[in-house]
Amino acid sequence: MNQFYFHHEHSSELAGFPHISEIGIRKITNIQLDSLVTTTTTSIRIYYILDGKFEWSINDRCYVLYPGDLAIILPGQKFGGARGFMDIGTVCWLSLEVNQTDQHKKMIVGNWSGLSKTERLTISKILQLNNTSVLVRVKDAHTILQTIKDELSQQEVAYATRVNHLIDELLILIVRQSTYQMNLRRDFPQTFTKLEQTLREDLARQWTVEEMAALIGLGTTAFSEKVKNYTGFSPLNYLINIRISEAIKLLRRQEMSITTIALETGFYSSQHFSTTFKKLTGYTPIEFRKKT
Amino acid sequence: MTTLTRSNMECIITIELGTNAVRVFAFDLAGNVVASSKGSYPTFHSQPDYSEQDPEQIFITMLYVLKNLITEKLHPKKYDIRSICFLASMHSLLAIDKHGVPLGNLITWADNRGKREANDLKNSDFGKVIYNATGTPIHPMSPLVKIAWLKNHDPERFNKAYKFLSMKSYIVQQLTGEYVIDYSLASATGLLNIHTIAWESQSLDFAGITSERLPQLMSVFSSPGKLRKEFQTSLGLSPDTRIMIGSSDGCMATLGAGIWREDKATVTIEDSGAVRIVGKEVLKDEKQRFFNYLITNNCYVSGGPTNNGGVVFEWFAKQFGDFSVPFDTEQIIEGLIRDASNVSAGSNGLLYLPYLLGERAPLWNANARGSYFGINIKHERSHFIRATIEGILYEIYSIGKILQEHREINSLSVNGSFATIPFCTQLMADIFNKPVHTVANFSSAARGAFLLNAIDMGIYPNLEAAAGSTPFQETIQPRQQDHQVYARYFKIFEKLSVKLEEEFEEIANLQQGVE
Repeated sequence: MNQFYFHHEHSSELAGFPHISEIGIRKITNIQLDSLVTTTTTSIRIYYILDGKFEWSINDRCYVLYPGDLAIILPGQKFGGARGFMDIGTVCWLSLEVNQTDQHKKMIVGNWSGLSKTERLTISKILQLNNTSVLVRVKDAHTILQTIKDELSQQEVAYATRVNHLIDELLILIVRQSTYQMNLRRDFPQTFTKLEQTLREDLARQWTVEEMAALIGLGTTAFSEKVKNYTGFSPLNYLINIRISEAIKLLRRQEMSITTIALETGFYSSQHFSTTFKKLTGYTPIEFRKKT
Repeated sequence: MTTLTRSNMECIITIELGTNAVRVFAFDLAGNVVASSKGSYPTFHSQPDYSEQDPEQIFITMLYVLKNLITEKLHPKKYDIRSICFLASMHSLLAIDKHGVPLGNLITWADNRGKREANDLKNSDFGKVIYNATGTPIHPMSPLVKIAWLKNHDPERFNKAYKFLSMKSYIVQQLTGEYVIDYSLASATGLLNIHTIAWESQSLDFAGITSERLPQLMSVFSSPGKLRKEFQTSLGLSPDTRIMIGSSDGCMATLGAGIWREDKATVTIEDSGAVRIVGKEVLKDEKQRFFNYLITNNCYVSGGPTNNGGVVFEWFAKQFGDFSVPFDTEQIIEGLIRDASNVSAGSNGLLYLPYLLGERAPLWNANARGSYFGINIKHERSHFIRATIEGILYEIYSIGKILQEHREINSLSVNGSFATIPFCTQLMADIFNKPVHTVANFSSAARGAFLLNAIDMGIYPNLEAAAGSTPFQETIQPRQQDHQVYARYFKIFEKLSVKLEEEFEEIANLQQGVE
C-alpha cells in the first residue's frame, strides 16, 4: 500500500471535511527519537497496523500491537510510543474531530454523520464505557480506511457522502467489536453482572434499553428477551428495582433530602420517585424514612 | 374431599428466597401450580473468597415479583390467598443495627472468608462437640463461623450488630416487624442444638454473642404475625392472610420430592447438589461429613452437599461449546448431551474429577481441584463431554456411598435442573444401581413448602402423608451392564480423590499465590 498523508490545513482533498483532521499511511523504516512522545489527544484517533510491531502507551497502559490490530484513542486520553518513538513498520491512521458536548467529558461526532443523534450519543457512551483501546484482528477496518483514501483521492460522483458513510461504518465496526471483545458472549449471568455494576455506578443517568443492550453487544429484542428470561423482569423494570434498592439505603441514612435521593437514583422528580416507591413498597419515601 | 370442592378458588403462595433468585409459586389447595414467577438478584465478589448480596435488592425483588403475581395472575382469576409460606437458602448471614438497618451486605453460603476460623475450630476437640450438638458441619459456609470471622476481622460491624439474621429473617422482619427464625433454617447455622432445639451455649461462646443477638426461634408451622398494614394495602391482601415462617430450601426439596421413608434418598442437583435422607435420628459420623438438619421435633434431613453440580457442566459448555448464537447456553448444553450419548459408558477410560470449586462432602477439602485422568490418543471431544458428566455423578455417588454405610438406600428420587436431564437421570440409576424416580417437572422445594402449609391447614395429617401425595412421574431402572463399567471406574475415581490430597493443596496454594 502506498504511503500518503492528508492534513486538513494543507490538503485540498480534505477541504469539504472539516471533521477529518488527518488521514494517512506511513512506512517507518528507521527509528527517530522523540517521534511519538506522549500527548493528550483532543480528537478520536484510529490506528490500524499493517506491518511491524508497535509498542504504545494508551491512557497509561502499555499495549503491543501487531498487524491487523487497531488502536482507538478517545479525546482526553494520553497516547504515545512506549519509548517515546514510533516503531518500525507500516501504520494507517485517521483523526476525527468531535464536539465536546459539556463539562462531563461527553463527546459526540458532528452532524456530518448519517447516524441519528441518539445513535451517535450511544456510540460515544459505549466507547467511553468499554474503554477498550486495542481491538485485535479487525481486517475490515483496513478495507474501510483504504476505501476512504481512494474516495478522497479519486473524487468520483457523491464521494463526499460516501466518505462520511464509511467513517460511520468504521465507528460502528469499532464499537461492536469492542463490545464483543469485552464480553465473549458465552456467559450471560456474568456479563449481566458486569452490566449491573455499570448501571449502579451511574444510576442518575437516564439509561435506555438500547444503551444497555449495546453494552452487552446484543440487539434490543434479544437483549430484552435474555434479561426477562434470566431476571424475570424487563430491562427497565430491573433498572427500577436497582433504583429503589439504592434509594432505600439512602433513605435510611437520614442525610439526604428526598429530592436529592430521587435524582441520585435516577428518578425524574421527587413526585415520580414517591409514586413508584409507594406502588412497590406500600410506603411513601417519607413514611418509610420515619419507620426506621 | 369436601374441603377441596368448597375452597377450590383458594390458594397458597410459597416464596423461595434462593441463592440467585426469588421464586414465587401459587398452588391451589389440591397442590396444582396455578401461577409462578421469578426475579433474580446478583451476587457480588468484591474479593476472591467473598460472596455477598444486597439485602434491599432481594427485598425489593421479592416484593416486585409477589405484587405482579398477585395483581396480574391471581386477582384476575379471583383467587383468594389463604397463606404465604417462606423457604430460603441456608447459611446466609446479615448483621443489622438496632433500627433494623443492615450493616453491610448479606453474606451468602458460598462465602469462604472464614476458612481459617473454620479450620481451627474443626481440628479442635471443641469443634467435635459443636458438630455433634448442632449437626452443621464446621465450614466457612456456617453462620457460626461467619459471626466468629466478623468478631475477629470486622469488630466495628460485630459490635454494632444488634442482631445477626438470615436472609429470610430479614425479609420476614420487613414484612411483619418480628425478628424470627424457624427451627429448620436455624439448624443450619451451627448455633442451634438440634437435640434440645435451643440456641447452643457453646456455639454462642465461640461466636462471642448471647442469644439475644439472634432472632426468636419458632416451629416451621408458626406465624410471626400479620403483614404490616402498608403491605396488606399495596399487595391487595386481606389481614387474614396467614404468614407462615416455613423452612429451608434443602429440607423442602426433600419433602417435595415425594420421599419420606428411611430407605429412600433424594438427589438434588442444580448448580450445586446434595444427597439427602430423612429419619427420626441424626447420623453420627466420626469424620463430620454429614449435615443433620431439623424439620420438626425428631425429624431430621441428613446428607452431604457438593459444590460441583450443574455449575461444572455449565463451565464446560461455556469453554468448549460452539457459541455461534451468543449466550445460548441452553441450546449448547443440549448439543453437548447429544454428543455425550454417542460415547459408551465409562468414556472409553477417560475419568474426570469435578472439584472446580473445592469440595464439601465427602472430601470436605476446599483445596480440591478438577482433573481429567487417563487421556489417551484416541480420546475425542465427545469423550471429554461424557467424562465431565460422569465425573459430576461419580461425585454424587460418593456421597450416596458413605450414606449407605449408615442407612440402606433402595431407591432415589431426583430433582433440580441438572439431575432431571434424562441422560443424567439414567446415568445416576446406572451408577447407583438403584431405581430412580422423577417427579413432575417444577420446583420440588416450592412443593415442599406447599405441603408444609397444607399440613398446617389440616389437608394432610402429617409429613409422611404429605410427602406421599407427590406422584412419581417415571421410574428409571438401572442397566446392569453399564453399572459394571461405572463400578470399575468409580474405584479409580475414589482413589484419585483421596490420593491427590497433597497435590491439591500444592496447586491450590500456587493458584492463590501462596509461597
